[in-house]
Amino acid sequence: MTKSKVKKIIALVLAAIALCLIVTGVICLPMRNSEKGQDIIADLRIRTLLNATGEGVVESYVAIAKEEARVAAKAEGKGMSAIRKAVAAAEEEARAKYSNFEVDYDAIDPAPLYDAVAGYYTALKAYEDCKAEAEQAYYDLMYPAALEKAEADRAAKLEAGQDVPETLTVNVDMSGFTATEEMIALQAQENTAYESVGAALKTIYPVMDDAALETLQKTVAGIVYEAGADFAALYDTYMAAGSKGALKNTFGPFLIRYADDVIYLAVGLLIAALTVIYSELLIKKLGIPRVIIGLFFILLCLLSLFFDLELDVLLSNSLVRMGMNSIMVLAMVPGIQCGISLNLGLPIGLVAGLIGGLMTIQFGFPGWGGFLFAIAVGCMIASVTGWLYGHLLNRLKGEEMGVTTYVGFSIVSLMCIAWLVLPFTSLKLKWPLGTGLRNTIGLDNTNFEHILDDLLSFNIGGFTVPTGLLLFMLLCCLLVWLFGRSKTGVAMQAVGNNPRFAEATGINVNKMRIIGTMLSTVLGAVGILVYSQSYGFMQLYTAPRQMGFIAASAILIGGASTSRCKVSHVLIGTFLFQGVLTLGMPVANMLVPGSTFSETLRILISNGIILYALTKSGGASRG
Amino acid sequence: MSAEYVLEMKNITKRYGENTVLSDVSLSVRPGEIHALLGENGAGKSTLMNVLFGMPVIHSTGGFEGQVLIDGEETHVASPHDAMLKGIGMVHQEFMLLPGFTVTENIKLNREITTPNLFSRILGKNLKTLDMGSMSHDARKALDSVGMNIDEYTKIHGMPVGYMQFVEIAREIDKKGVKLLVFDEPTAVLTESEATQLISVMEQIAASGIAIIFITHRLDEVAAAANSITILRDGKLAAVRKAEDTTITDLAELMIGRKGEAVVEADSRPAPQGNIAMKIRDLYVDMPGEEVKGISLDVHEGEILGIGGLAGQGKLGISNGIMSLYESSGSVELFGEPLTLGNAKSALHSGIAMVSEDRKGVGLLLDQSIEDNIVFTAMQIKGEYLRWYGPLRLKDAKAVRGIADQMIKDLDIRCFGPTQHTGTLSGGNQQKVCIARALAMNPRFLFVSEPTRGIDIGAKKLVLETLLKLNREQGMTIVMISSELQELRSISDRIAIISEGKLVDILSPNASDADFGLAMSGIKPSEHKEKGDGNA
Repeated sequence: MTKSKVKKIIALVLAAIALCLIVTGVICLPMRNSEKGQDIIADLRIRTLLNATGEGVVESYVAIAKEEARVAAKAEGKGMSAIRKAVAAAEEEARAKYSNFEVDYDAIDPAPLYDAVAGYYTALKAYEDCKAEAEQAYYDLMYPAALEKAEADRAAKLEAGQDVPETLTVNVDMSGFTATEEMIALQAQENTAYESVGAALKTIYPVMDDAALETLQKTVAGIVYEAGADFAALYDTYMAAGSKGALKNTFGPFLIRYADDVIYLAVGLLIAALTVIYSELLIKKLGIPRVIIGLFFILLCLLSLFFDLELDVLLSNSLVRMGMNSIMVLAMVPGIQCGISLNLGLPIGLVAGLIGGLMTIQFGFPGWGGFLFAIAVGCMIASVTGWLYGHLLNRLKGEEMGVTTYVGFSIVSLMCIAWLVLPFTSLKLKWPLGTGLRNTIGLDNTNFEHILDDLLSFNIGGFTVPTGLLLFMLLCCLLVWLFGRSKTGVAMQAVGNNPRFAEATGINVNKMRIIGTMLSTVLGAVGILVYSQSYGFMQLYTAPRQMGFIAASAILIGGASTSRCKVSHVLIGTFLFQGVLTLGMPVANMLVPGSTFSETLRILISNGIILYALTKSGGASRG
Repeated sequence: MSAEYVLEMKNITKRYGENTVLSDVSLSVRPGEIHALLGENGAGKSTLMNVLFGMPVIHSTGGFEGQVLIDGEETHVASPHDAMLKGIGMVHQEFMLLPGFTVTENIKLNREITTPNLFSRILGKNLKTLDMGSMSHDARKALDSVGMNIDEYTKIHGMPVGYMQFVEIAREIDKKGVKLLVFDEPTAVLTESEATQLISVMEQIAASGIAIIFITHRLDEVAAAANSITILRDGKLAAVRKAEDTTITDLAELMIGRKGEAVVEADSRPAPQGNIAMKIRDLYVDMPGEEVKGISLDVHEGEILGIGGLAGQGKLGISNGIMSLYESSGSVELFGEPLTLGNAKSALHSGIAMVSEDRKGVGLLLDQSIEDNIVFTAMQIKGEYLRWYGPLRLKDAKAVRGIADQMIKDLDIRCFGPTQHTGTLSGGNQQKVCIARALAMNPRFLFVSEPTRGIDIGAKKLVLETLLKLNREQGMTIVMISSELQELRSISDRIAIISEGKLVDILSPNASDADFGLAMSGIKPSEHKEKGDGNA
């Protein structure tokens, strides 16, 4: 049997399974809201109710037994301690007797309870809806004041040089809320409805008394009505409460519960089938690493759906992170093209950009003017440092990977001293006590926070499109692409590709390498500013150290090697890399709750990719 | 030891895939004789020695056919180490010496004399103590036998090249039971006096009963030292001669011979005698392995000048030097105007184009498309194939595609399309891309270096025909540098032969094989004849 035949068979089997699953899922999914689904939930609900109230009943029995024992002992004229002993013995005996108390579901007539619960549910829902509405109104009333307070707090914290979380949390004080008249009226109706539930329960558990019923009211209400819960959530809750016995046939409800996940699984299998069939084409067009990472990304999407995470929000976050990182990744392109391989000395450009940003805040230039000023200053500094850096690399040809890494580390360390002594005076930048710049400098709407992100941005559901950021990214990519088609750009690529060839054509190899290095450094400066405006903070000191590696691994994921790359590698790589990280963390947290697994994963992925790429840099890079 | 021959190789045939590199070759060496193995580059000398030494490259490509007899007994040599045990030693062309070790240590490497000590008794023989005394004694003896009075404790690092050669020989002689030594071009790196000394050492060694196989292309050395001579040509046995029965001219003719049919046959015409296109005076080029040591040469306008010679003699250095790929000095005039050496740009500007012999290293951008390769030089040097797009001057994709399609059609470049990367093309098609790049410059003067190296016969024909067409139809002056005498003779008007970095002679393509053979080994045919006549 040939290989392609095996592939076809595997793909067909996978597709057939997927088809069955899709049919099952599509049939089962609408059942949730149909009568059948409601019946399942109602059954489970009654059962859970009976189980919960059953515990109350046991308490009632125990109380009765205790009382009987006490009366009996008293009648025998025993002393206090003897009475206590007898009561304790009776309690123990009663608890042991009723420990397995369970109502025989088949022996009772649940019809009255059904009706009563249905009535109670309606009343309860009316009340809860009304309450939610009233509370929301109150919240809206109080929100502006709370927001003001939260912003003031944050500003104060920043002033004091403390780290603040990226998102602003607003706490609205709800303690002043009082029930409306409508609520009170509805509550009365709810109580009446509960009485009929109580009556129905009493027919099943004759022993249950009013006191027990009263204490059970909260529990019953909780079981009967869960705010905003859908089929799946109710099913999970009731199943967790041990109501499995209520279902005559468990498989049907199980399928209905997991209908959506069955569809996700089917989609996954279909993709797997397609991948198997087109594996050769995919590997040829994209290369094995991209196929693997692409599939991993799709797997993460499906897993996040399976864990009921908000995929649209996650994807939107991926898009933002792609935009904010892309320019730094783009900075790798001229470096690779001019032959200095991965520019791991990117921090040279990053600190230049940061200095530009700091000067904007120092001088207080607002908005777009400030942002453009920061870019202009950053580019100027970066072109000077890049020129020097290029000369250094020309003297150390053949050792670029080590030299760039070392330069990146040293510039970060050097700047750690510089941040302490640079003569910035703005209170937004300095530590409140002593000298030096802060670790993290928060941007706000007086300077360039989210200036690109918010430009022309719009929402589709939970999916936010940061139009300005993406446009800026595409503009930069276009410029780099156009440069690659100019005479200098073509010469520069030849230098990177084959220096001896370039030399034989009379091209000044060293000059081209310096141009490439300068361009890469300048793009790094622009990149960190784009990153900061999106992040909302500028991070000084050791923060830029890792960014060169992250950018390098992103472009390698995108399909570049250490000797050749295209602009498209930047876009593919940044999306996959940031997408995998953004989706990977919440999914990893669901898989292994409460661990630092996601952080470990991030480090593994980013460093693993660099290692992988380095093993390929020897010469197997040609596609 | 009663056998007549210490080594007999009978009917050796070796194929690499489809390619037969040795066919039915035999070699017999008597004890104590110096047996010269002669042949041009690629005649099969190295392969024959690889077979003798049982090199992995032979075994991993399917072995060989034929017999190897040592002392009259059929043997199977499994590996170079096995060859050593059987008494066959090799003096390598590239020295296999450790620079940081002393002469003694190098001579005794991996055959150290050791004495057991406490640790070696417990932990095994690798921990035995070196007996430096007896080791240096042995080394001394070996050094003396090659007539070298250098101290045996000197480090190799920093020694003159000639000394390293002798240390290498001393190491082989020191091996116990050596019966046969192979010298692979031993005089290539030596000065004249060192070469003379080496030959006398060889005679001494031979006198002690060890047979020597002497691989070389210097016919005068063969005449001076060899007792018998085996000549290979094109993977076949050309002749076996006794030294006393032959002359240098005879050997030269046997070595060159007529190899196969010419792929292309040019109409014979008188060599153009018009204007001088390029006047080269005292050209020195510092190209490693292909040094040019003072060449003066005139190239006439409209001719095809062939430059031939053996590998490593400096013929490649000429074009590389003039195109400023390597440090060069001297004076070069192109159509009467002086050319600045050391500036590749000015050479290209003045209208010279070059197709490099190092296709992958210098000739191509392997990771870029065919079309980008073709227009690269024209774009960079002449600013062609660029267009203004608003304020930006960018690559003119349409014009680029136009010329690429034209070249692909004209030169019959077999590819999926002009955007295919050159790294994925076959050698012949890569060569055509290199030629296309030179032609896109519309040059007045074309250097073509080893245009047919490593390409199949069909591509060879097309490349040569293209050159001929350019010359005949456009009057382009072409200098073709090639190791393949046959192709030089088929299209050149004149052929210059280079040996040891110097011009030996300029011959007509119709000159005799003997003349070419003599010239290639550095002997000017006319002078030799005079000498020969004088003797006779």
